[in-house]
Amino acid sequence: MDLGLFGQYVMNGLMLGMMYALVAVGFTLFFGVLNVINFSHGDVVTVGAFTALATYLGLVALGISSAPTLVVGALLAAVVSMAVLGALIARYLVLPLKSAPSLNTLLLTLMLGTVLHEAIRLFYPRGANPQRFPSLLPTDAYTFGHFTLRLDNVLMLLAGLAVIVAIHLLINKTKIGLAIRAVAQDEETAKIMGINFTFIVLVTFAVGSGLAAFAGVIQGLYYSEINFAMGLLLGVIGFSSAVVGGLGNVYGAIIGGFLFAALQTIGAVALPFASAYKDVFAFGVVILIMAWRPTGLISEKVSERV
Amino acid sequence: MKAIRIGLAALFSTAVAVALSVAPATAKETVKVGFIGSLTGGTSANGIGGRNSADLAVRMRNADPKSKYKYELEVLDDECKPDKGVQAATKLSADKSVIAAATHYCSAVAIATVDVYHKFGLPVIVWGAVLPEITYGNNYKEIHRVNGTMINQNETAAKFVTGLGYKTWAVIHDTTDYGKGHNEYFSKYLAQNGGKILGTFGVTADQQDFTAELTKIKSLNPDVVYFGGLTPLGVRVRSQMEKLGLTSQFEGTSGIVSDAFIEGVGPLAEGVVAFREGAPPEKLSGGRMFLEHYQKQGYAEGPEAYGAFAFAAMDLILDTIEATGPDRKKVIRALENVKDRDSIIGKITFDDHGQNSVPLITKYIVQDGKWVTWEESEYAAGKRKLKRR
Amino acid sequence: MVTGAWRAFIPLLPGVASAAGAAVYLLLLLKVQSQGGIAALLVAGVVAMLAAARFDVMTRVARRVGEHEKAFNVIVVVAVLALAGLLYDDHFALLLVATVIIYVIAALGLNIQFGYAGMLNFAGAAFFGIGCYTAAVLTKNTPVPHLLVLLAGGVMAAAIGSLLILPVLRTRGHYAAVVTIAFGLLFKIFLEVNDALGGPQGLRVAGMQVLGLEFNNNIEIGEDIELAFYVNYIALGLMLLVLAFIFVKRLERSWIGLNLDAVRLDETAAACFGLNLVRWKITAFITGNFLIGLAGALYATMIGFIAPTNFTFGDSLILVSIVLLGGIGNPWGLVVATAILVIVPEKLQAIQEYRFLLFAAMVVLMLLFRPQGILPRPLRTYFPGSPK
Repeated sequence: MDLGLFGQYVMNGLMLGMMYALVAVGFTLFFGVLNVINFSHGDVVTVGAFTALATYLGLVALGISSAPTLVVGALLAAVVSMAVLGALIARYLVLPLKSAPSLNTLLLTLMLGTVLHEAIRLFYPRGANPQRFPSLLPTDAYTFGHFTLRLDNVLMLLAGLAVIVAIHLLINKTKIGLAIRAVAQDEETAKIMGINFTFIVLVTFAVGSGLAAFAGVIQGLYYSEINFAMGLLLGVIGFSSAVVGGLGNVYGAIIGGFLFAALQTIGAVALPFASAYKDVFAFGVVILIMAWRPTGLISEKVSERV
Repeated sequence: MKAIRIGLAALFSTAVAVALSVAPATAKETVKVGFIGSLTGGTSANGIGGRNSADLAVRMRNADPKSKYKYELEVLDDECKPDKGVQAATKLSADKSVIAAATHYCSAVAIATVDVYHKFGLPVIVWGAVLPEITYGNNYKEIHRVNGTMINQNETAAKFVTGLGYKTWAVIHDTTDYGKGHNEYFSKYLAQNGGKILGTFGVTADQQDFTAELTKIKSLNPDVVYFGGLTPLGVRVRSQMEKLGLTSQFEGTSGIVSDAFIEGVGPLAEGVVAFREGAPPEKLSGGRMFLEHYQKQGYAEGPEAYGAFAFAAMDLILDTIEATGPDRKKVIRALENVKDRDSIIGKITFDDHGQNSVPLITKYIVQDGKWVTWEESEYAAGKRKLKRR
Repeated sequence: MVTGAWRAFIPLLPGVASAAGAAVYLLLLLKVQSQGGIAALLVAGVVAMLAAARFDVMTRVARRVGEHEKAFNVIVVVAVLALAGLLYDDHFALLLVATVIIYVIAALGLNIQFGYAGMLNFAGAAFFGIGCYTAAVLTKNTPVPHLLVLLAGGVMAAAIGSLLILPVLRTRGHYAAVVTIAFGLLFKIFLEVNDALGGPQGLRVAGMQVLGLEFNNNIEIGEDIELAFYVNYIALGLMLLVLAFIFVKRLERSWIGLNLDAVRLDETAAACFGLNLVRWKITAFITGNFLIGLAGALYATMIGFIAPTNFTFGDSLILVSIVLLGGIGNPWGLVVATAILVIVPEKLQAIQEYRFLLFAAMVVLMLLFRPQGILPRPLRTYFPGSPK
């Protein structure tokens, strides 16, 4: 395989992995603080992307044409409104079910996801059709053989990495992060230490959902297209990535996300069977990994649980 | 908290009540006809477009003072799933007051339900599904189809594009029956016309990222990328080609001949070639009338690629019922003899399998954000050039 | 004066009344076609459910039923037969009833896995699909008697399911969920890509034929009464369901059920008491998949056509939802939940493209109001029958 082509595959895989990782981090954060799976997360990505698009159209209608303003405006609107949505979901749908079997939360959030994407399909103007997402980043391209390096992709990749680093700092270096980790480790003790449990849960859901909105905007910019169903598979893949990495562990989620993207890319290009089998391959490997490392690649610290 | 929940419940109950309360009044004898399509799920844009078009046919007929009956349209959702399709088909066919129906956009559903219609003797006209076996797989008198099959479409497509001087192709198709069928027939006819396929890539219908497949295609460097699938995927593939600097000509199937495709990909749509059976509605006087009335009704969604066929199917059903009266058997007999019937999609003639022997496949190209027929485009006139490697 | 026979009947009254009430409600729901009627019925159903929850009717009825279980089983079978009799020529309503029966069999299988042994299975639709495809292949290519085909569907599902035993045994909770989710997705994509089993177009399945009786022909009685052919499937489905139901109930009550409960509630403690976790988990997983596959095989012969799109992740979730909504571990709850999840979306056809939005919102509300499910599993009674 020539080097340019290889570079292109790596770049594709990195972009894909970054989006998976952003979604997976949300799953793992929610699981950390509440031991629940929020399956509406994939559809929050979709709603975030559509919010950004609507904001963009609104700003353009107001006569704003500078690309940086538009990007920042759309991104900000999406992230903030999804953070609020995430907190609302936690407050009114997830926390009330805290004492019920954890699977109920899973079912409830799944149905909530259906409500979200069906609402977009039916109530966003022509929402059943794919929507064009504007290219707002500089699209200069450099070609090296088969490798086309686009400036917007580089910017997105850097932004994504920056956000991942920021999450790392938030969890490990701030007071809020300390509180999140405390709640994740032991809810009761955290409460005794004076941590406002409900508040921390809400913050965590807000952060995770804000990340989802960011992933949604990146996806829109990267593919130039968004649609009401884009969150469905993304949610499943994000969840699988989080689990493969090890639930409750942010680094696990990131590794899981990039691993899944790598598996899909390898499945599509490097294996001797038809590319349509790539997801069969990726999910097959996931099953094998689970058999090998039953609690994920970076396993949860379970000592305090039994 | 409790109060909120109860409030929500009350709100919800009223919502149900409001959503469900519509009641028509009648003077003429009421005749029921049916429509089935995918109103939810990934292909719902086409299903809803078809539903609106069939609904339009019924409304226009009801508004016509000369019509003998008052028609009531029963609409069912098949979710594009065979088992749900069988349920919906059973519901319609078992209801003796339903005289005929326009059914199904998805081929897997249409092929699953033909037995049901046959068993219950309900005459149906398929308005969107393109799998050849739906009409040719059995000898059922109940089953008709106004749109053509993918055989017709790809025969023309292969002949046309090889005629433009292209030599090599890469094929991306979705792994549904639609995409796989198109791949099969296109590959067959392309080989007959001397074109060469460098690589074939199946993708799942809900896939978002095609960069891996497209990068591989880029390394194969084909003249044309052939895409067999529907609008949502088509938009993604076309957009992502650009991102990877893949500059081959893009060729699609009837599944992307929709305004949604052009809206979805924006300026990149320019020069995209696709094929659809039937005459373009804008060219026929009936078709223009259809588009006008569609606008006037103010449906929130467009008619999409197959709306005109749904309209034509429903219109043919209503014509037949007007002529024979509301009797399933008579309707079936009358539909056997449909020949050179004028419709908004051109002449309709059913062969012995109830298949409209569509004489015409229209070649489309996108020019300045619009689907125009190839013959009228500036590309055919030589003013603009298709992409060459 | 209350005679002796009546006195014996009185304790049964709540059970009979609720069965009759449910049957009448179901009959109305199946028969009513007008939008207003459906709306009124759905609202009434929601109100009744809320009221029942408010006044704790459910638990009381459940307790009474638990005391007279045998009699109640008979009552329910009679109610279903009565329903089928009243709907005799309404194909669509009967199809829905038959679908409910078949889904309950599948949900019973899932219930053994999840409700008793605590093992998550998000690939229910895949195992259901294995049953369907087994039936399609066997009825088409071999002269195997059709009742055996049903068994084969179950056996195939159990056999292919055992490929997953290693990862499923090693993982727990959400990790096990991912194994089954991955398997479910993989199964569907594989069927679509691979043309050996019909590819995306699917396969036609022949109707059941038992001892010369063609299940797909309507039953003619005398000159003018013609029963819809779905009655055949209801009869067979009901027989299988009764067998499966008795089996599951016996299993629950037996020492095996006790072991499964122990495994679910605390693996470590169970292992400390010398229970063989591996054995019980394998037992539950394989038995559950067998029932799901069995149901799938029957479903395929009834529907007559199967394709990969029937077996998506979403369909697996419907099965899981049935178990959750029903009240985990309670077979009676499954029946109610299945009826809701199969019939309500069909009835919502009246609002066309809005129906999933409304349906999902309904489930969300239901979970908020009754997080424990419609009929939660009662505490184990070690001495069945009324304690006197």
